[in-house]
Amino acid sequence: MSDRPGVLVVVQRYGDVSGGAEAHARELVAHLRPHADLAVATTTAADYWTWANKYTAGIDEVDGVPVHRFPVEAGRSRDFRLREHRAFAKVHPLEAEDAFVRAQGPVAPELLEHLRRYGRDFDAILFFTYIYYPTVYGLPLVPERAVLVPTAHDEPALRLSVYKRLFHAPRAFAFNSVEERRLVHRTFGNERIGGEVVGVGVDVPGDRDGARFRARFGLERPYLLYLGRIVESKGCGTLFDHFLRWQSDPRATPVTLVLAGRGDPEMPVPSDPRIRHIGALSDQQKFDGLAGAAALVMPSLLESLSMVTLEAWAAGRPVIVDGRSPVLASMAARAGAGLAFRSWMEFAEIGELLVAEPGLGDRLGRAGQRFVERTYTWPVVVEKYRDLFAEVAARNS
Amino acid sequence: MTGRRILLVVQRYGAEVVGGSEQHARLVAQRLAQRHTVEIATTTALDYWTWAPYYRAGNDFLDGLLVRRFAVTAGRDPEFKAFEHRVLEEDHHVRDELAWPAHQGPVAPELLEFLHQHGGEYDAILFYTYIYAPTALGLPIVPERAALISTAHDEYPLRLAPYRALFHLPRAIGYLTPEERAMVHERFHNEQVPDEVLGYALGDAPPADVAAFRAAHGIAGPYVLYLGQVSEGKGCDELLAEWIAHRDRGGSPDTTLVLAGTVRMAIPDRPDVRALGRVSEEDKAGALAGAQVLVQPSRLESLGIVLFEAWQYGTPVLVHRANLVTSGQTERAHAGRSYADNGFGAALEALTSERDARGADGQEYVARECSYAAFDERLERLVEATAP
Repeated sequence: MSDRPGVLVVVQRYGDVSGGAEAHARELVAHLRPHADLAVATTTAADYWTWANKYTAGIDEVDGVPVHRFPVEAGRSRDFRLREHRAFAKVHPLEAEDAFVRAQGPVAPELLEHLRRYGRDFDAILFFTYIYYPTVYGLPLVPERAVLVPTAHDEPALRLSVYKRLFHAPRAFAFNSVEERRLVHRTFGNERIGGEVVGVGVDVPGDRDGARFRARFGLERPYLLYLGRIVESKGCGTLFDHFLRWQSDPRATPVTLVLAGRGDPEMPVPSDPRIRHIGALSDQQKFDGLAGAAALVMPSLLESLSMVTLEAWAAGRPVIVDGRSPVLASMAARAGAGLAFRSWMEFAEIGELLVAEPGLGDRLGRAGQRFVERTYTWPVVVEKYRDLFAEVAARNS
Repeated sequence: MTGRRILLVVQRYGAEVVGGSEQHARLVAQRLAQRHTVEIATTTALDYWTWAPYYRAGNDFLDGLLVRRFAVTAGRDPEFKAFEHRVLEEDHHVRDELAWPAHQGPVAPELLEFLHQHGGEYDAILFYTYIYAPTALGLPIVPERAALISTAHDEYPLRLAPYRALFHLPRAIGYLTPEERAMVHERFHNEQVPDEVLGYALGDAPPADVAAFRAAHGIAGPYVLYLGQVSEGKGCDELLAEWIAHRDRGGSPDTTLVLAGTVRMAIPDRPDVRALGRVSEEDKAGALAGAQVLVQPSRLESLGIVLFEAWQYGTPVLVHRANLVTSGQTERAHAGRSYADNGFGAALEALTSERDARGADGQEYVARECSYAAFDERLERLVEATAP
């Protein structure tokens, strides 16, 4: 291997697409560019549900990196929910699992052929997200040079037999968190395979002004900030319920819940003056908003890594999480930078505490800052990947 | 029976089955059963080419062990040779390679389903022969408790897509020889998978009556023995050419080449070449004990059990150098010689002159390395590395 390893990144979608893993892949590629010869292999899909062909198949370029797009022969099948239901049944035939993976899509056999032919030209191949076809069938074609970024959380799919080959085959893992690594080891008993907790880097602007944010949106009271999609699956129902129960108590300190994020709400937002939906924010506004918040609220249960949580910590603010979320509650405890609730009363107590004692929020936030600096900064992440690539190359030489 | 619950998966299994890896599987099952609860999962096939159903599907018993037989729903693709040619020689797509195990067979979906539903009930599952469908498609279902006994040699299918991950997945690998281990490591870079070189084990040598063998087949004077299928695939055409050239130069006077085994090729009609066809176990013992030298010309043996059998009777072996396994084995045992092309005659004469000394070394090697005690120890290490 020369100083600049050849690295192929395999991911189900790539470019101007939404999605945590996809954004993760693209940001990582941008930061690895000075250190590696990179190429991306992906599909022509932009939408993670239909996988409809949107991009042209062939060679494209994104951020100055060549991107090979392979056609989607079959997107998500119309009977996907049925296939999923069958595969997730406690007792199910083996063939139901392959049927589930194919029904889920994106089925892109030419991407597999590309890996068969050219996979060995690369020192390392990074596969993003364990669950989709390109990784399920692609990784076993190049196991000796595969680094899997599983982005796994505890969900029924993870327990299917079809994924075992994936979690026992790669040369190494790049986990998003200590919690994800623990989950994968517990599920598969694959501790033998090496790997690192790598995650992503978090960039925060040095200039963060809470007063500017308050002025811009006319906020006078202390506020809690929620950033992201407004949808039941992210825990917003619990958040609205707990917040309003707390605020309905006449003894409660008046506080505003500020909801920010792209797109229309995917569930009803209670019509209440104490809940303000302010829509999409620029990056600067987001960090101003974090700087002025008593805390970020992150009520989602199923996350393998929460970018907004890391951003809040990097900005020196504490995070309120749902104690039932295995990853977030554990990370908050490890970082010493968050408080977890298990009921609306605990949510209320935490809210009162943070509003009454700003010094506590600042101390928690500083602990979060230190936690992020240890693991989740780009120089640390890039260094870990370079070590992984060197190790993979050494084992194949 | 205490110990572990062990399942052995193999493409064919039965008293009537002939084949090196199947023979190894049966030995391993019997040895493990001394200390563990052992079951076998296999198919209804007897013939390794067609995989035509022969046994009844369902539970069977052999050597006191439960044998679960699963129906073969598709034997080898009748057009397999054409398919093989396309995949091995022509431009093709990854989907052709991925279809290889299904075309080659034996396709036994209920066996795979059994692994999916019940694999978790076993502490360790040993898969025999990397190339066939039960292993290629079955091991990835239960990698967390699987050992692969690959019985691989350096052949083109080893490069195909279904096998790229197979050697990285199992908890442990049992190789037959150090040569197999080195070859697999070089190809797959899978040194991280714990392994054990298993070798082979033999019980006491069956009594040999050389005089009876000679009398039954009318063989007088010194003879060189070949034991096994007599075919071009086993290198017998090259052996005959070497033998004839050697004899025509006046080498090994009065010596006969005795070919014992099913004949699948034309045999020249000469007084110094005798093809006996398949011989009885008694004849085999007599033939091995009375031979000057056992010759093994095959380039593709992955173990060469017959070498150990010859050594048991103090008969040294002559092997083709192109086969790294048999020549490595012979060198380790210090119990014979290897020859390169056109070198057969000289090597035979040299070995004949030191026959008894080399044969004694072979006997000593087998007693040490192929005893049940030594073999069982290696097997235990494999099981311990496999069971989660």
